[in-house]
Amino acid sequence: MKEELFIEIGSAYTNKAGQDICGDTIHFKKIEDEMRTITVLSDGLGSGVKANILANMTSHMALKFVESNMDLLRSSEVMMDALPICQIRKISYSTFTIVDSNINGKTKIIEMDNPPFVFIRNQKEQVIKNRTLTSPKWSERSLHISQITTLLDDRIIFFSDGITQAGIGTKKYPLGWRREGCKKFTLSLIKKHPNISAHDLANEIIEEAKRKEPNNISGDDMSCAVVYFRKPRKLLLLSGPPYDMNKDKEYAEMVSLYQGKTAICGGTTANIIERELCLDCEIDKTSFDKKIPCASIMEGVDLVTEGILTLTEVYRLLKHNIELKNDNAATRLTKLLINSDNIDFVIGTQINNAHQDPNLPVELEIRRNIIKKIVRILKENYLKEITIKYI
Amino acid sequence: MEKIKIEICVGTTCFVMGASSIQALEFEIPEDLIGKIEVTESRCMEFCKDHKDGHHKGPFVKINGEVMADATYDKVLDKVRAIIKKKEEN
Ligand code: FES
Repeated sequence: MKEELFIEIGSAYTNKAGQDICGDTIHFKKIEDEMRTITVLSDGLGSGVKANILANMTSHMALKFVESNMDLLRSSEVMMDALPICQIRKISYSTFTIVDSNINGKTKIIEMDNPPFVFIRNQKEQVIKNRTLTSPKWSERSLHISQITTLLDDRIIFFSDGITQAGIGTKKYPLGWRREGCKKFTLSLIKKHPNISAHDLANEIIEEAKRKEPNNISGDDMSCAVVYFRKPRKLLLLSGPPYDMNKDKEYAEMVSLYQGKTAICGGTTANIIERELCLDCEIDKTSFDKKIPCASIMEGVDLVTEGILTLTEVYRLLKHNIELKNDNAATRLTKLLINSDNIDFVIGTQINNAHQDPNLPVELEIRRNIIKKIVRILKENYLKEITIKYI
Repeated sequence: MEKIKIEICVGTTCFVMGASSIQALEFEIPEDLIGKIEVTESRCMEFCKDHKDGHHKGPFVKINGEVMADATYDKVLDKVRAIIKKKEEN
């Protein structure tokens, strides 16, 4: 049997100190029918809002062109024509790296003026030959095109020059951290944590680059993206009592039979699993928070939380990509979701009448609806593979 | 003296009905009760689903096993103090 593969994309940014918007952008898109995932990192000239707009325009155009398989040279000409031209340097300025991956093995990388990507296989860098294309119209810019047949555990890492130039001019790094420094750091990190997620790796690279800067203050926008071809990390999330009580046993057994992590969201749901599997489930006080009910600990289950309030908060955290600073049941569940690739939701459809009581001081979301919203965000913004089953 | 057990339901219904303010007992125990109570939380005790026996108004708190409906921070403290007083009288 062919090994299941998942393309995990992780990205991280930091703004140039003093700017409240990043001049680099990273966009990605999954095209389900073609089993293709496209990632674009673009760095706009300068910093702040103007750079952000340039970068955004570039990456959106690039995504569209690549998605429609338009001729590359022609697409890049159209892009450069469309972008405003820098008065001093006379170039329409923003750079890009496009990684176009098909899950069955072919990945194409198209680069213009960003630091060359790093390809890591078996914990070593592999140098990939590329072809150069130049448009007669914009002869000072050229495109580099590489192709890789990817295997399980390969990683492609790419970044803006804010990373390679981190620390530039300092005694220790007169020429900056450089691609070489970043590559060495990445390799040593992968040695230490062979299964590090794309998300964590991208964040670690940004943090390390910041440490190269004087006083940890970033002198330029920095961004990093990681495409990781991995075995999917699986998660089963159960929420809500089954419509028919006779299904309780079947429902509980899903937890004990699942190959992967499991989470239970809902007090009654937890009570059912506790009863059916004869497990013990206790409140976990370390998750105390004024706004979110405590999580519980159940042997063999990775996380047990309350239902609607926690899920509503998870939706908010995911939607606005909020930093997970507090440690409560909702941030724990959000982390679990972000750190999974394939998520199987099983939703019990029995309605909780107590939640429909008009005397409640707040309106509670209906389970199905909040789950639907969470699923949409996980698919669109986090590129997760999801199944939902109602019971 | 044996500690008085306070079990606060922090299921969805009880939580939005105000259980979280009773949870203050976890951190700010009135001086006269220090060392005399033991606070735990519980998932939905399922009283909220039970409209028949007059139980249906949360938040629910069990004090030494006895269920209190429509509980508040003050009501819980009053009850606890009453229990202590009774014990001291005996
Ligand atoms: S939520 Fe407290 S009894 Fe149901």
